Formats: sequence, C-alpha cells, structure tokens
Amino acid sequence: MRRVLIGTITFLLGSIATSMAYSQELGPVNGNAEAGAQLYYDHGCHGCHGYSGYGRQDLNNTGSPWLMNVEVFRAFLRARANEAPILPSTSMPNYPQNSLSDEMVNDIYAYIRSLPDNRPETEDIPTLLNILEAAGQREFKK
Amino acid sequence: MNKNNTKDSDRSLPKTDRRKFLKGAATSAAALAISPTAKAQDPSAYNASYTAPSYQQMQRDAGMVTPPEPDTRMVVRPGSDLMVQALKEMGIEFVTSNPGSSFEGIQESIANYGDPPNHLPEFITALHEESSVDMANGYAKSEGRPMVAMLHGTLGIQHASMSIFQAYHTGTPMLLLVGRDVGFIQAHTADDMAAMCRSFTKWDAQPTSLEECIDTLHEAYRQAVTPPTGPVMVVIDIELQKEEAQGFQLPPFRPAVIEGIDAATAKNIAQRLLNANNPRLETGPFRTPEGVESAVQLAELVGASTSTTAVAASMSFPQRHPMCGPGADTNYDFILGLEAASPDITLKRPIVNSLTAERDKMSIGFGSLRENYVPNPPGAEPTPMEEDQRANQGTLLTIDAQASIPIIISELSRLITPEQQRVINERKARHATANREAFLSALADAVEEKKRGWDLSPVSTARLYAELWPLIMNEDWCLASPTNFSGGHHRQLWEHNKPYSFLGTQGAGGMGYGLGASVGAALAARSRGRFVVNVQCDGDLNYAPGALWTAAHHELPMLAVMHNNRAWHQEYMFVQYLAGVRGRGTERGHIGCVLRDPFIDYSKMAESYGVASEGPIEDPTLLAAALNRGVESVKAGKPYLIDVITQPR
Repeated sequence: MRRVLIGTITFLLGSIATSMAYSQELGPVNGNAEAGAQLYYDHGCHGCHGYSGYGRQDLNNTGSPWLMNVEVFRAFLRARANEAPILPSTSMPNYPQNSLSDEMVNDIYAYIRSLPDNRPETEDIPTLLNILEAAGQREFKK
Repeated sequence: MNKNNTKDSDRSLPKTDRRKFLKGAATSAAALAISPTAKAQDPSAYNASYTAPSYQQMQRDAGMVTPPEPDTRMVVRPGSDLMVQALKEMGIEFVTSNPGSSFEGIQESIANYGDPPNHLPEFITALHEESSVDMANGYAKSEGRPMVAMLHGTLGIQHASMSIFQAYHTGTPMLLLVGRDVGFIQAHTADDMAAMCRSFTKWDAQPTSLEECIDTLHEAYRQAVTPPTGPVMVVIDIELQKEEAQGFQLPPFRPAVIEGIDAATAKNIAQRLLNANNPRLETGPFRTPEGVESAVQLAELVGASTSTTAVAASMSFPQRHPMCGPGADTNYDFILGLEAASPDITLKRPIVNSLTAERDKMSIGFGSLRENYVPNPPGAEPTPMEEDQRANQGTLLTIDAQASIPIIISELSRLITPEQQRVINERKARHATANREAFLSALADAVEEKKRGWDLSPVSTARLYAELWPLIMNEDWCLASPTNFSGGHHRQLWEHNKPYSFLGTQGAGGMGYGLGASVGAALAARSRGRFVVNVQCDGDLNYAPGALWTAAHHELPMLAVMHNNRAWHQEYMFVQYLAGVRGRGTERGHIGCVLRDPFIDYSKMAESYGVASEGPIEDPTLLAAALNRGVESVKAGKPYLIDVITQPR
C-alpha cells in the first residue's frame, strides 16, 4: 500500500513537473552554489552524475522536469522513500529532511544550475573526427 | 620417500625413560641457553621425547630445508621430464606458478629439460596463485586453447579457487596441475585435494603411477578442450615427479575428437539456408579462432547477414565483416543459431554447468552454476527457465557449432547451383552496403553521445576510450580487461575484428581478475606481435598487483590504463540507497567504499614492480600524449601503466 501511495505521489509530481517544464521557464536560484558543490560531493551525487553533472545519468542540459525549480527538485528528493529493497540498488536514493535540510537542497540545486555545458562541437574534437574518418575509410581485412 | 624418512628418524630415536628424558631435556635447555647454534647442530637435543618433532621436521617448519644428499637418490631420467615432454607434445606454451615445495620436480624439468630448456613450456613466475589462474584464463580466451597453472598443495588451491570458479563460469579450458607431497608440511597436503574445487572444475584426477600420470595429462587436455570446455585439475605426487622412468616410452598424444552434427542434419540445414530468400546467422562465441573462420566462410557462402558477440566476448564473428550487421532486409526467413539462440535451428555446445549437479557432491548449490538454478531465500523453489524463453529457442541441438559448420559447408558446396550462386552474390552486395551504413550511422550516434563532458577533469571514461582508439586501431590489439565498470565505450567506438579483440568479463563478477587476465593475454601476444590493452579498475588492481611484476619480468606487451575513480562506486550506491530508504544519513555512504585518505599512487606502484609508468593524469588534454608514450613503450616490448583519474562511471 505504501509503495502504491509513493508511486502515485511520484507520478503526480512527475506529471506536474512535466507540465511545468513545457509551460514555464526555469525557476530562480536562491542557494549557494559553492556550498552546494561540497554537499553534492559529500552526499555522493557524483557517483552517478559525475563531478560536474556528466556521468551515467547526466544533469546538464537534460531538460529534466525535476530540475525546473527548487520546489520540484526538493519534492523529488524527498519522495523517493521506498520499502527496503530485496536486491541491492543503485537507483536514485531518497534524501529525507534529516539528511538534507531545505537549505542544503537549495545549495545543491544552485550548484547543479551553475554547471556549464560541456559538449563541444564534434568538429572541434580532432580525436572524434579521426575516429569517424578512419571508420569510413577502412575496409575489412581478414 | 618421506614415509621412509620418518621411519629412519624414528629408528634413530634413543629408547628413553623418564629420568633420561628429564636429563636430556635439562641438557637441551642448557645448550639452548648457551648457544642456539649449538642446538641447531645437535639433533639429539630434540630427540628426548617420542612425541617431540624430529630435527628434520623442525628444520622444515622453520623453512631451513636442505636438499637431500646427491648420492642418496640419483635419478637419470626423472618422471617429471616425461611430464614436461607430454606438455610439449600437447603444445602447452606456458606454465605459470609461484614456487612451492610439492612440484619442484616439474619445475626443475621445465628449467633444465629439453633443447632449448624452459621453452614450450616456459615457466612464468607469478606472485599469487589467483594471478596464475587468471593468466591462464586470459591466455585461453585469446587463443582458444589451454595453458597450465601450477598450484602448491592445499594452500595453492585455496589461493587459486576464486579464479578457478570464474574460469568455470566462462567455460575456459585450462590445466591446473597441483603438486602433492605427503611427507612434507602436513597442512599443505590432503588425501583428496581436488575435492576443494570439484564443484567448479570439469574433471580431476590423482594418478598413482608415472604411466597413469602421463595418460592423465593427455586426458586432462582432451577434457579441457572438449565441450563442455572448462578447467581441469590433476594432482601429481612429488614421488611420481622424482621417480626414475628408466625405459618407459612416452605414449603419443591423441588430440580430442569433437563431434559435429550428422550428415543428414547438415544436409537439411544446408537446404534450408539455400531455399531461404533472406537467411540469417546468429553467432555467439566459438571455441577457437578456427570456429570464427568457419563461420565467416559459411556467411560468405550463403550470403547471410550475421550477428556477432565480438563486443562482449572473444571468438565471435568479426564486427566489420561485410556480412556482419542487420543486413539489407531484416525480415529473415530462416535463422541458424551458431552458439546463439535462434527461433528456427540452434546449434549450441553444452556448457560446464550441465555437469555441476553431478560434480557438486557436497550440494553447495553455487548460484548460477547449476542449470536453471538460482539460490533463493530459504524454502523457495529453484527458479525455472521461462517458458517463452524455451519457445524462442526453436529446435535446439546440443552439439558443437564449430565442429558442425564444416559439415554444413561441405553439403552446401555439393548442393549449390549457379543460379543460387548468382542470387547469393547479389544479396551479399546489398548486405555489405547496408551493414557498412548501419555501422557508420551507429558510430556517428555514439560519437555524439561520447563527447558529453569531453573537457572535464577528472577525465570522462568515454574520452579515455576515445583517445586510445586512434592510437591502436592500426595495431594488432587485444582488449583483455573487463570493461563493465569503466563504461565499456569500446563497444560503440572500436572495431572488434579479431577472435581476441575483446576477452569479455570476469565470469562470476569477481574482482582482481583484470590484471592477471591481461598478463595472460600478453603472454599469448608477446610472440605473435600483438598489443594488449588493459583498462584497469583501481579496486580490481589492489587484489593482486604483483602480476605487474610478472609483466615486467617477462617483458610482456601490455598497456595498462587506470580507470582510477578512487572508490567502489557501485557499492557506494548500494549503501547510499539503503540509507535513503531508511531515512537517515546519506552523507556517510562513503564509509568503507572509497579509496581516499590517502589516495593510492598507481604510477609509483607500477614503478616499484618494474613497470614504466606515469600519472596521475587529471587534465584530459594531457591524456593523448601519455597514451602515445605508453603505446610506443609497449610496441618496444616494455609494459606501461598510465594512472588516469577518471569520472566515477
């Protein structure tokens, strides 16, 4: 029952956030990005999202509805409590109030919003151009 | 011999009574107080009690072992020479081990027997039995044939056991020779030493005579390479190694005969391939490079588009072969599975876990070893195979595909008509164009994906693979380490065209495998002009880093590039997730999961083992030049390690 309830709340939050993503600009940033960088590291965000927002799950420039404003972001962090899993999980953890205060969430949000884009144009990366060119020229040899 | 020695020393014990014993003990104590050297030189000081250890035992326990007098046992033609000759005739290139006190006969024969000595097989010095077996694993995965890992008694088997367990999971053929010396240190021997690994070896034996030992070695090789392939173990008493062989003639080695499908089935398959408008081959890993060659020949003969597992494991279809890919038309009307599942006909060799129920005498019930068996919570039934999974298999023939393909090709050659040949040629041309476009399109998509975080410091794992590829693409390379923890970006960016391009995962997911397997692959590579790449996880390296010394000592062509993310990030997330679920401290998930305070300097570690190295490198703009230096070093025959600080995953 608890799982169903949490799932429903998460779905509703997602629906609201998605509609906001298409209807609103990004919300304001009120936290301290520098403090947020340390919290981002201390609470293990970098494990999946990289030290600068690029990793197994990107944060930068994703258009994620969860990052539209700090209220949605906070609700997302808080709403992920679940029944104890049977199997080990690397899913996004839950961050309760006693672990991350609202102020700390504001700071982490500020840090995420401060992360610069880091996807250069392919034309500006000789290594990748070389890979593409070589693959186009190469013929299979036994 | 040792049994006799014990009797000899018993006979030397003086008959004694309590008074003499006390007197003797007091004398010994006084001697000890005056001069420890004098004690060591006076064996009678230890012989005061029937239960006291003998002088020889004390010496042995203290590690002060002296060789026997040469005139006590001069052997002209030792049994171990014949054992080594048998290994030569089976084509065993390497025996890897660290020295022990139960196989010195074989070790001495490798060192001195033959012309030249220490060649075919060559003794490779390992620093840990786990590394020895991992080396045998990497070698066999790249060559499709076994080498030998030699283990010292009960202790060596236990050190090696996790690596054997992993080799069993991947069905890797290897010979595990175990030395046994009953009369020496008792804790190192046992009646049935192979029992410790019986649940996860394919076959084992403990011969009792020299003649039986040679037959056993021959049979062990055949067992290892015959499907189901896997690790086999032979326990060899030291007495057999030291025995005088006199006029014993070495019997000739009979290679394994591996059966394929019968002619009628082959004809049926050939006809269906020829009758199909758009035949398809699904290929998995074959046993040896010859299997890959046969599959290529078959695909070309019938003009079939073909799948591959070359980005996941060794011995599969070359990725850039014109027939490899989805083909011009994905509506296949006949699919032949060759070591891969097909809805029509599948040829698949048996795998070792089909033997586990019989081999697991103690019913340990290892997860994923028994067929259709998953250890569940207590009381639960084993998880059966899903019904739809069975249905998708079509007709499953449990037979070796590699041995079957030449029989199918033979039938095809007889059946094919000139008109069919014309149609096939046209189809091949269409497939080649479509497969090339599909590959280049997928590569372009991958490049867009991999450039995310390109300029970040620490280095992105994608950039690590991307920078490496242009430097090795024209070399004869082999990627020997598992890549699942470092992103596996080679799968999308590199081209896997050789049977040994990528050797796949650990098998059972056990850590500590990457370096040993890479050193084993580099053993194979050294004489073949190949180049081995090891994308080395930091956590994995710390289990048995001594294999770096083996690479340096034997001058192996291995480039190790560290994926140094300074943590076990997967486990970090497990703890983090549970802390979140339990609603408490998510800032302490790192406890027990990180490698910091202090950071480990892998460049210095490599240097201490004699491997040229550099790093740590955090600036991505410095990476390409470092990799280039590493490549040049390896091409000159010197292993090289580059410590790269990377993004977590």
